[in-house]
Amino acid sequence: MNAQTRIPVTNLQHHVFYVTDLERSKAFYIKLFDLQFSALNHPDSSAAMRLSQQEMHFFSFGFHHHDICLVKHHKLKMDNNSMLHFALTVKDAKAFDEVRSRARDMGLSIREGRMLASARPVSRAFCVRDPDKHWIEIIEEPSR
Amino acid sequence: MSNTAFVPPNVLPPFKLRFAGLLKRKWFRETVLLWPTLTKRRFSNKTEDYGVFKPSLVSHIGQLSIYVRDIARSRAWYERVAGMIHSRTCELEPHPFKEGWCIRCCYMSANEHEECLVLIEEYDPSGRITVPSGMSFFHFALEVKGNQLEDVLAFAKQQQADGFQLNYGPVRHNSEPPLGDGETGGNVACYLYDPDWHNVEFCGAMDTIENYRARYGDLKGKDRA
Repeated sequence: MNAQTRIPVTNLQHHVFYVTDLERSKAFYIKLFDLQFSALNHPDSSAAMRLSQQEMHFFSFGFHHHDICLVKHHKLKMDNNSMLHFALTVKDAKAFDEVRSRARDMGLSIREGRMLASARPVSRAFCVRDPDKHWIEIIEEPSR
Repeated sequence: MSNTAFVPPNVLPPFKLRFAGLLKRKWFRETVLLWPTLTKRRFSNKTEDYGVFKPSLVSHIGQLSIYVRDIARSRAWYERVAGMIHSRTCELEPHPFKEGWCIRCCYMSANEHEECLVLIEEYDPSGRITVPSGMSFFHFALEVKGNQLEDVLAFAKQQQADGFQLNYGPVRHNSEPPLGDGETGGNVACYLYDPDWHNVEFCGAMDTIENYRARYGDLKGKDRA
């Protein structure tokens, strides 16, 4: 099969990352972004989770079933050594201001600008760390 | 394109991978869940138990940056397997939060999502490239063009024909045979490990909130029980 006929991907759809305390992270993401808790897969409810010894909490941005999932591995320890950051694009300028205001109220340390020096400029950006030290970049840009 | 010698601890061994396909069989899922069933600890994990009726402040995931050991090798993999487009590879720049460390960034675009993935070589102060641990994320998902069941199935078939081994799937994350694996989300998916053992999901046809609204109106899970 040649390169011309290959089926490509269109977009980054969802991200599933490790956390150490599901309830703490759940509260963080809901409070900062209004993420919607959409499903729970637990070793006592899901065969796949039981086999992989994981528990997964699903969150929606409001359109798809899930956009972000928090995973707790019940045997292995997570770290920050395979991902540098992920960026969440807010809906509009008002949402950007709201997230920023909430981050301040939550006492989060705010890093101004884009996470990567080489990243393309956007309207506005700032970065915070979640309870597991994952870096989250919040960006405002025109909708896709 | 072979994977690196270091295998992260969350990578499923070949023995366990053999069982993964059995998750599409209800009898197997019931067997795995026999103990929580017998001890009455089993509960539903269905989406219908939760209400998702309010938009969040977020529109979409804008970008993800992952550590890789060799940008050229990873770039080739994402171009070949995912059909991604190389946007640019930058010169070394200071690590954003590790004093004395450096990074080199390779920006990859999908058809409709510019520079959504950044492949990063991380250099410690002595100039050595670090090895990704595999323990920051479980997987990330790229949507397959067409976004339908048959598109993901064709994608999976294409990878297998080209000699790329799927580590899971194709499956549908619901309980409907023949592809359903009992999970949630409704998305059709197949999974491949990239050269650094990052688990990448290729998916389509995920359920939307509208599906649930059409079924249940504004009632939340507890109200429907």
